[in-house]
Amino acid sequence: MAKGKEPSDYLPLSESTFYILAALREPMHGYGVMQKTEEVSAGAVTIGPGTLYGAFTTLQKEGLIEMVREEDRRKVYQLTTMGLEVLKEQVERYGLMLRYGREAAGKGNPGGEE
Amino acid sequence: MSGEIFRKVKFFGAWQDEKEEAWLGEMAQEGYHLNGVGFPLVYEFRKGKPQREVYRLDYTSLKKKQDREDYFQLFRDAGWEWVGEMGGWQYFRKEVAEGETAEIYTDNQSKIKKYQRVLGLLVILLPAFIFVFQQREGQTLLTQILEGFMFLIMLLYMYAILRLIKRLQELKEDS
Repeated sequence: MAKGKEPSDYLPLSESTFYILAALREPMHGYGVMQKTEEVSAGAVTIGPGTLYGAFTTLQKEGLIEMVREEDRRKVYQLTTMGLEVLKEQVERYGLMLRYGREAAGKGNPGGEE
Repeated sequence: MSGEIFRKVKFFGAWQDEKEEAWLGEMAQEGYHLNGVGFPLVYEFRKGKPQREVYRLDYTSLKKKQDREDYFQLFRDAGWEWVGEMGGWQYFRKEVAEGETAEIYTDNQSKIKKYQRVLGLLVILLPAFIFVFQQREGQTLLTQILEGFMFLIMLLYMYAILRLIKRLQELKEDS
């Protein structure tokens, strides 16, 4: 883990990083992360292998995920405690955004037109 | 697989990977499927059925065997077939349905990192040219020709670097 870094220092997470961290709440290999992301985002977000490989390397270096074992020549990763903290912090922020956004979006048409 | 093999020499600069990908896709649609690549600039095709295939190029400087295995495993799992390597560029192929496409990089941030790796290599190689031009003793016709040739290559390198910087700027503006 990078020394002296707070969970909030990693925010905001990119969309793909968010889905990767969320998927790695459970131990999973790369292909699992790709499938899970496509499934929970209803196909709106896909993560290509180039993007995922780079993200794994970076997140591991930052200490947000760790390799827990190897299965059929595939590395299985999981969130670290710090990774979980970062995820929680991001979800907290999304919560605020969502509340504010719903309020703003629910105000009717701009300029009060029909 | 059967089908006759034919080779083609074609130049694409380091900044033209998307153009190269599109060209390989067009070749596949005409029934020429990339069978392998070789240094320098040789493309080997196998004649077969016309097919919709997406080609994508990645640039990686992974050295450790384990890292390379992990890397290729991820691509395989995602349905990409590795076709070959040329100067650090990895050639991947995926069959897709009509009207569909596929990407190995799905966000701008990771695409930026790819071009930064390419740029990093070109910048590292530049001092080598400067070294060559400092060795200007014993001028003969041959060394002059060689030098002229090296000079052209260096110009090409500089141009590639500028184009890559421009590409990076465009990607950063998009994100």
